[in-house]
Amino acid sequence: MKQITITIDNQKINATEGANLLQVAKDHDIAIPHLCYHKKLSPTGACRLCIVKIEGQRGMVASCAVHVSDGMKVTAFDEELEEARKYLLDYLLSEHNEEYDGTYHDEFRELIYKYGLNNKENRRFPSIWKELGYPADETSPVLAYDAAKCIRCFRCIKGCDEVQGKNVLSFTNRGILSYIIGGFDKWGESECDGCGECIQLCPTGAIVEKPHRESINIENGIKKVRSTCPYCGVGCQLELWVQDGKVVRSNGVEGVSPNDGRLCVKGRFGYDYVSHPDRLTTPLIKKDGKFAEASWDEALDLVARKFGEIKEKYGRKSLAGYASAKTTNEDNYLFMKLVRLVFGNNNVDYCTRLCHASTVTAMLRSLGDGAGSNSIEDYETSDCMLVTGNNMIETHPVTATFVKYAAQRHDAKIIIIDPKWTPLVKDAHIWLQPRLGSDVALLNGMIRVIVKEDLIDREFIEKRVEDGMEAYEALKALVEKYTPEYTEEITGVPAELMQEAARIYAKAERPLIATGMGYSQQVTGTHNVFCLINMMLITGQIGREGAGLNPPRGQNNVQGVSDVGASPFTYPGYISVEDEENRRKVAKVWGVDPDELDGEKGLSTVEIMQAAYDGGIRGMYIMGENPMLTDPNLNHTEEAIKKLEFLVVQDIFHTETTPYADVILPATAFAESEGTYVNSDRRVLRVRKAVDPPGESRQDWEIVAEIARRMGKPLGNYRHESDIWDEIAKTAPIFAGISYDRLEQHGIQWPCPDKGHPGTATLFEERFNTPNGLGKLHPVDYAEQSERASEEYPLILNTGRILYQYHSSTMSRRNKALTDFANDAYVLVHPTDASKFGIADRQKVKIISRRGEIENISVNVSEEVLPGELFMPFHYSEAPVNRLTRDELDPYSKIAPFKLSAVRIEA
Amino acid sequence: MSIKEIIKQFEPEQHNLLHILHALQDANPANYITGEALEETARHLGITKSSVYGVARYYTMFSLEPRGKYIIRVCASPVCELLRANEIIALLEEELKVKTGETTADGMFTLELSECLGQCQEAPSMMINDKVYNSLDRGRIREVLKSYRG
Ligand code: SF4
Ligand code: SF4
Ligand code: FES
Ligand code: FES
Repeated sequence: MKQITITIDNQKINATEGANLLQVAKDHDIAIPHLCYHKKLSPTGACRLCIVKIEGQRGMVASCAVHVSDGMKVTAFDEELEEARKYLLDYLLSEHNEEYDGTYHDEFRELIYKYGLNNKENRRFPSIWKELGYPADETSPVLAYDAAKCIRCFRCIKGCDEVQGKNVLSFTNRGILSYIIGGFDKWGESECDGCGECIQLCPTGAIVEKPHRESINIENGIKKVRSTCPYCGVGCQLELWVQDGKVVRSNGVEGVSPNDGRLCVKGRFGYDYVSHPDRLTTPLIKKDGKFAEASWDEALDLVARKFGEIKEKYGRKSLAGYASAKTTNEDNYLFMKLVRLVFGNNNVDYCTRLCHASTVTAMLRSLGDGAGSNSIEDYETSDCMLVTGNNMIETHPVTATFVKYAAQRHDAKIIIIDPKWTPLVKDAHIWLQPRLGSDVALLNGMIRVIVKEDLIDREFIEKRVEDGMEAYEALKALVEKYTPEYTEEITGVPAELMQEAARIYAKAERPLIATGMGYSQQVTGTHNVFCLINMMLITGQIGREGAGLNPPRGQNNVQGVSDVGASPFTYPGYISVEDEENRRKVAKVWGVDPDELDGEKGLSTVEIMQAAYDGGIRGMYIMGENPMLTDPNLNHTEEAIKKLEFLVVQDIFHTETTPYADVILPATAFAESEGTYVNSDRRVLRVRKAVDPPGESRQDWEIVAEIARRMGKPLGNYRHESDIWDEIAKTAPIFAGISYDRLEQHGIQWPCPDKGHPGTATLFEERFNTPNGLGKLHPVDYAEQSERASEEYPLILNTGRILYQYHSSTMSRRNKALTDFANDAYVLVHPTDASKFGIADRQKVKIISRRGEIENISVNVSEEVLPGELFMPFHYSEAPVNRLTRDELDPYSKIAPFKLSAVRIEA
Repeated sequence: MSIKEIIKQFEPEQHNLLHILHALQDANPANYITGEALEETARHLGITKSSVYGVARYYTMFSLEPRGKYIIRVCASPVCELLRANEIIALLEEELKVKTGETTADGMFTLELSECLGQCQEAPSMMINDKVYNSLDRGRIREVLKSYRG
């Protein structure tokens, strides 16, 4: 883009041709007053305050509507302009309720003061707002709107539409009486999902947050701390407001990736759990079946002694640990170091095995890296997005804003593959609705279309795929039988739709695949992703900006925990534990003898439970996980956990798992911790302490280090989290160039091999990360599911997430704002099944599978599911759907098939 | 026809919004658009509730409240106002025993104000449904109302 020079008030300024004049001025600290303009939004030109004079143009023009051109001479401030601005403000003020309660940042009020209009004598217009009878809307659970404070700048409407892609807001009435509405003039009954974009954008406090409104006082010293959202793997950057030692607000940080100020309802309103009275505040030891408070010394000594005894008695393979996708990299790094060095085995794993392990396994085998290949913001400029088994509007709402933007603003085509309706279908070009478990057939069908119509990228295959065209021929032979007719027969997807989807994907310039739990949580999870990769490789749709494969990670730090090596198979940075050479390297950094490190891979999440059941594992250390709600086949998990001789659970609340513990250790929540998370686009992001932890709770890594020390094997000498990070950077080559001082302002995407390296936005541009640098095709055939509908269990149950709750909802359910939106379990039943089984909407039913049953579930009759299929969210402990699911594992990745269980339903 | 049937006659495209709203209002004996109708419209067109509501409220020709069989609109624009529109309104309120915006007890008439009716040369004027009446005074008003009451 061409660089030009303009002058503003005689100051020479370099700018990009065509840039927005008001923004250019702003970027150079020339504070032209404005209210309706915001960097993220298209200019509105409503307030007129940003007027300037431009040489050669008549009169005053709104600078927010001007594109700069070379040599432009601008006057931003002179007496006439200032007088006009004052007049405009004065006029606005007359229709405006100027009371200010000190709970928000008021841009309008600042201008009123700046122009001396706070002094009533300086005003020309009488105040008339009271006569106008403006309405207020308090119906939303999270926000309140007051038309008497609204200046009709439309930032809220545009924010909701252009940034969030929701278009929930509109305005009604005309002229001076117009005001903003949600829904039919009742925000609380509109489609608003509480993201609060509008609140953050409102310059006058016409829209304000409800939570803590009585207590916040901006002028009374609020501490602002930047951190990272503790919920999902988008990794939104937050600014936490702290008052009297409590978090009272959370805003999105503007201008930094990945979220550029946006948040979802959880990030904005989900922090109250931190100060919830249910928090664990002291160590607890079980005596005679009851928990009694204990001192740290007592508890830690007991833990060290018991683990020591078990190791002594049953050998070093008898202990295992669950690391945590919720806590920091530093916490998890020390945790896995404890398991490897102190327990002396590789039995460390975490919930990733329950969500994306299959995706990661397939990606590792084919591409050499298990992480997303592109940046989240790439979605905004993509022209085709293939969204498979991924309800991203609910699970990764901020990522979804970029996806919707591409579809709504530049006609990018979204192709959805999902048996269940998701809200993104509204923006989709094509929705393929395959029967549960038939994805391999569908994708093989699509690959066949690509083969037959010669939409492959020969050059890419020859250069970048192992065995080039020969490998391709093998794939071609395998997919031959997946004719459109055959594919339709298996999947139920109309052949023409499937064909069109294949064509669009293959021909796109910048296609991204976003694959989610619907694809990974199946017995064929790894195969599903192999098929996606096969299709991607033969069309050459990876290895450049905007093209690739991206599994959005579920929890805030799933990515990081794998990255720092909390895995039974790999050390930090994905290097195998079975490789002699690696072991030597890691041992060197840790200052130990390589023989101390177990060279045999450890047990994975579900295998650990199975071993506990069989007596192989006798003692377990669980950090911030809740297997008694989230593991598949819960009844079996319960028996396994009961068989353990000693169980330590470290958490911030009592969970479904803590009752089974012998010792419970109280840890810190995100707002009380220092460290880093890694988000879904491999961005290492800082987490900062904003408030003190309650009672005696301690940060996870400190507890871990203490246990190790008391077991006679100190892990190292760490004074601060950054010391741990520096060791991580030494162990894991992908992090080598990252240190805390580089993370002050923004995150860095790995791999980042050295200090001078800016980080890597796009993976695989030159080579894949496999040993020979080539991608690998894995042709796989469709196989029928072993679990099928039968006479006794005629329905197939699918499980998943919703926007307002999070995982086992230990955190999310302790926020009134979130429970106000959703707090009840339900099962979705298709209308035909409802009538077939004589079930009515809202009726309570029992659901029974071969493994267990759950009762009292409210029915929601809905066309969101296919006939023969049911859907239930898994967040609610009173409706533990995992009593129904199976632990038959995907043979490659050991993931469990949460998405498919045969059940029957009884009134 | 049910609400759904009325709406389904139109393609689910946003430019049909005004047509749908008209059809819904015309089909309702109480001459207004119900909440349920708005809701169905939003669903059919795949747009949010507020975008339907904003439009329905923007145009004075639509009502979201039940109205009489006949809608009397009196022009309240400057020319009519100069020529005693206020008096006409007062007369109508007296004759109908309602205030502006209200509906008569028998459900026959709703009295509303409107933008210019384009009859300035023969102001003051009013409209009853689609028919325009000019050069009004008390006698003329009584006569007109009577013709509707039959
Ligand atoms: S509510 Fe706020 S953001 Fe929306 S138009 Fe009014 S002043 Fe602007
Ligand atoms: S999208 Fe994810 S990271 Fe962002 S605010 Fe919502 S839950 Fe937090
Ligand atoms: S900022 Fe330009 S018109 Fe409001
Ligand atoms: S949907 Fe945007 S704030 Fe409600």
